[in-house]
Amino acid sequence: MYVPSDLTDLLEYLNMNQTGVDLIANGSDLINRIQRREVTAKVIVDLSGLSEFSYVRKEGKTIKIGALTTIADLTSSPVIDSRHSVFCEVAAKFGGPSIKNVATVGGNICAASSSEDLLPVLLVLDAMVRLRSKFGERLLRLDEFLKGKRLVDLKANEILVETMFQELDETSACAFEKVGMRNSLIIAFVSTAVYLRLDKKSGLVDDVRIAFNRVTGKIPERAKRSEEALHGKLLTMQLLEETTSALRRELRLSSDFRVSGEYRSEVAGVLFKRAVARCYANLVGRELV
Amino acid sequence: MQIWWDGNLSKHLLKFNVNGMDHALAVDSHERLLDVLRDRLGLKGAKEGCSTGDCGICAVLMNGKLVNSCLIFAIQARNKKITTIEALGTAEKPHPLQRAFVKWNACQCGFCIPAMILASKNLLDQNPSPTDEEIKSAISGILCRCTGYQKIVDAVRTAASEMRK
Repeated sequence: MYVPSDLTDLLEYLNMNQTGVDLIANGSDLINRIQRREVTAKVIVDLSGLSEFSYVRKEGKTIKIGALTTIADLTSSPVIDSRHSVFCEVAAKFGGPSIKNVATVGGNICAASSSEDLLPVLLVLDAMVRLRSKFGERLLRLDEFLKGKRLVDLKANEILVETMFQELDETSACAFEKVGMRNSLIIAFVSTAVYLRLDKKSGLVDDVRIAFNRVTGKIPERAKRSEEALHGKLLTMQLLEETTSALRRELRLSSDFRVSGEYRSEVAGVLFKRAVARCYANLVGRELV
Repeated sequence: MQIWWDGNLSKHLLKFNVNGMDHALAVDSHERLLDVLRDRLGLKGAKEGCSTGDCGICAVLMNGKLVNSCLIFAIQARNKKITTIEALGTAEKPHPLQRAFVKWNACQCGFCIPAMILASKNLLDQNPSPTDEEIKSAISGILCRCTGYQKIVDAVRTAASEMRK
């Protein structure tokens, strides 16, 4: 294990050693993968000492979250107010305190698999990620950064330093739903996040973004066809039912040892309806009919 | 159990504080915090259960936060303050939580109890009068296969009222 003395040392080391190196934040995911012999790197570089990347800040209308912010620190931050309670919804289903105290936002993003609960939420918030190397920074959209299961667009000499998104205002809301074998500390059968913005005057759907922990493959993705079906429409329970049928066709959910594809598809529709209805109720102040 | 590691077994100097005592040890890269606590320092309170972060039995407090010591490399605990169950009470003078666990017969096989008590202590340090839901949330992630949890929740509630006096 290489323990860098500071950020400059880290970036210099990564630039000099571009093969056989893997990064570790607090270890809640990587140590498991090392035990399962899924990690082939010869050297692990410890990022846990870089406390300057543990923060949640608001700059203008942008919320910035440092990559080393733990799930517990994220939800206890004053920036994450009642409008952003979606992060508390994630945390409630994420794991016990001993996991939330170590699992980091950056680790959740870079692990890039369907079991990372934060990814659907960050996808619907249209989050960006900031990467840094010895030579400078790159800013990428999160959906471009996620290239496949356990595959991200991170060069060997780069680290993820922060993720950022536009704050939710009085016209927009976001909700998260997850179903797994237990309520918490479990990999989801299905999880979904929905972002909804209603036009202030007309009440029509101005923007909607839907993400699931798996859509066509085994990584979190947006269900863009179903999103289009809702754009510019007046949200009713009937429209939601119709969209749910279309959504079930769009999602290509497969069976695995956890659960069957049919069950996944059924539950996905229910979770989607619940999440949209909750966003609507938060925005309008009454139940969707 | 030791983690398999191919090459690079370099040594690090680990300086940290365990239960109020400073330690400086040469540790291997692959040694986890749990390995160092149990095998080097002889603190057998933290147990190894699943080794994957599912059972929570190995939990200790690191800088006042509950963490699974099987999912942290020892060197990552550098300059940190670790509290294990050994720091709480003695046989002659048990901690109120330990007394309450005995009173309610909340320990059966006892394997999860060090983690349960540390998680409860962490909760009571921040919240002296928790609700049952808050107690359940604080001990979530630690599996007990004997008690069905009810006696543990009862014991923590009793200890909380004892400690408020």
